[in-house]
Amino acid sequence: MNHVTVEIWLWLGKELGEDFKSLSEMRSLKEESVEEGTTIRQLLDSLARYYPPIAQNIFDPKVKEVYPHVVVNYNDQVISPYVVHEQVLRDGDKITVLPVYMGG
Amino acid sequence: MEIGGYWGKILRVDLSKRETSVEELSHSFIEKWVGGAGFGAYYLYKEVPAGVEWSDPENRLIWTSGPLAGSGVSGAGTFNVAAKGPMTNLAGCSQANGYFGAYLKFSGFDGIIFQGKAPHLVYLWIKAGKAEIRDARHLAGKDIWEVEDTLREELGAKERDVSIYGIGPAGENCVRYAAIVGDRGHLAAHNGLGAVMGSKNVKAVVAYGGKRNFTIKDPERLKEKNNAMFQHAKTFGPFYQWGTGGGFSALYGIGCLPVKNYTTDIFPEHEQMNGQYMRTHFQIRSMPCYQCRVAHVKEVTVTEGPYKGFVGEEPEYECLAAWGPQIGNTDLGAVVMLTKEADRLGMDCNEASWTIGWVMECYEKGIFSQKDLDGLDMSWGNVEAVKTMLNKIARREGIGDLLAEGVMRASQKIGGEAANRAIYSLKGCSPRSHDHRGGRWIELFDTCVTNTSTLESTWGGIHPQLVDLPLLADPFSHEEVSTINARFNGVRVFDDCLGTCRIAATDPKLQLECLNAVTGWELTLGDIFTIGCRVVNQLRMFNFRHGMKKEDEWPSKRYGSIPVDGPAKGKNIMEKWDWMLENYYTLLGWDPKTGEPLPETLKKLGLEELIKDL
Repeated sequence: MNHVTVEIWLWLGKELGEDFKSLSEMRSLKEESVEEGTTIRQLLDSLARYYPPIAQNIFDPKVKEVYPHVVVNYNDQVISPYVVHEQVLRDGDKITVLPVYMGG
Repeated sequence: MEIGGYWGKILRVDLSKRETSVEELSHSFIEKWVGGAGFGAYYLYKEVPAGVEWSDPENRLIWTSGPLAGSGVSGAGTFNVAAKGPMTNLAGCSQANGYFGAYLKFSGFDGIIFQGKAPHLVYLWIKAGKAEIRDARHLAGKDIWEVEDTLREELGAKERDVSIYGIGPAGENCVRYAAIVGDRGHLAAHNGLGAVMGSKNVKAVVAYGGKRNFTIKDPERLKEKNNAMFQHAKTFGPFYQWGTGGGFSALYGIGCLPVKNYTTDIFPEHEQMNGQYMRTHFQIRSMPCYQCRVAHVKEVTVTEGPYKGFVGEEPEYECLAAWGPQIGNTDLGAVVMLTKEADRLGMDCNEASWTIGWVMECYEKGIFSQKDLDGLDMSWGNVEAVKTMLNKIARREGIGDLLAEGVMRASQKIGGEAANRAIYSLKGCSPRSHDHRGGRWIELFDTCVTNTSTLESTWGGIHPQLVDLPLLADPFSHEEVSTINARFNGVRVFDDCLGTCRIAATDPKLQLECLNAVTGWELTLGDIFTIGCRVVNQLRMFNFRHGMKKEDEWPSKRYGSIPVDGPAKGKNIMEKWDWMLENYYTLLGWDPKTGEPLPETLKKLGLEELIKDL
């Protein structure tokens, strides 16, 4: 098993419940153990099945994609949806989920 | 048959002759150009020939409202200003919200065209179809807050009886990035249109409010669609709850906060400078624009730090970034102070902070000494020195005279290593206060290829799904970035024709429904693209006529550089820049080698009369 952290920022992290640790007013964190070979997409898919706010705001479990208003960072680097699909998680990896918004 | 939402009247103000007159607008003209930026583009092309420079009396300064302004649509107090602007020496279109767009209509006009130059400072007074050019010599040197106070007192007007927009010292002294400011902190800030106003000796414009006095074709349909638009705006992004600063940290997360003039993208203090922090720690008072239900505009009182007790308008995202990370400042109270100072003086915070950040970096690297900077210690984060420098710029005192030219011209004059550190587009357009090298390549590209002098296709990103286009999947794809900029082009410029604020009108389809309810038209989504692209092409033809070249559609060396750290470390947009331009030009029906509109493109957009000028 590999241990990874998932950090969710700003309004995407609303109403996630006590399983997520609040790092600050705008950041929520959860540590996850994943099997060897798990991709970022598979991790988000499994989280979406357990946490309805994630299915509603971050990852659409029906089409297995992050929503268009969401961006994912892998180890603090912005990645494209293609990388979300393909990147296999390693021990110690960090996934950050951020909202993309129009304006500002 | 009458079109709802218009008076069909343009007020022409000849400052040299001290005369005003009213011109009627035909239905076909209104249907072709709609209003706002569309009217501006038409008159600029028609009345400002090649050879007329931005400060010539023959330049035009065109203030236009739109069909939705004052209609009751949420946040419809917006107006557009167009002129040949001093930052680019090309067309400039810039919008401001507040009340003026609605009050201009209530005063009986769809727009105002200023021409000529007054012999001394004047202001324009408009009310109920009447207009007077009045002496403003007693307002010389006053900041725009003082102008608003003085004129209201002289006119016996209460706060919301009138809307007043004008220029501060920066505009009077023709600082190239002077803004037109009014309604207590709203700005038409891009391309130095405040300097054009200053060059014409116009200090302010006063328009009277009142009841809606023009026709709305289908009030019931308007009410229904306006409600739906509000519900969309309420949940679309952070604006309703947190203002534009609500996205500050999200932008940090994708490497888009400008930190110390692009020398880094690390700014851990972002959580103490975002909209969430401001609205939970500072005292907040609502200051909504005309009939706006989203009401994201606030006044704040600083409650902590060195500026505790300071009262100012809540900084919008651009001011937070400009007066926070870009100048190495980590105190939110100081951001409020500098935002008010720049607004009071009447200048664009974006260009002002690119200029100040460049000075600070050059000071850190030893390119400028304290003596070179009139004794100011321009270390990162020295906000009091920044305040002093802003005042020197606004009055063109000492080093401020050079910096009043903007960072492109100032850095080119200094030359050497300093020239490589300045952030600008070669056309002269100021980027908005982001690090576009992060997850907003689309905006970097847009800033360089725009014809309006500010964002043309994008608005802090693109949400193509709103108009049934495919999504931008990879923000770092050269192909996707240039393609989506072209495919989406027209939507945002059409917005700028209407007299509404984008923050209150986040759904283009519902906005279109509101437009149809007001006017009696039945425009489609396809019409939006056609009209918007017509305006874009008209402005592009103006720009080519005034000397623009394809080579100008590049970022400066620093603006197009590769981030050295942060979430977008190593990403290089310049790798395929020439290819991106050719792809973009081709998709828009422009010559891929020169960027000029092709004859068939102009014909398709109803601009046949421009073909002879190619």
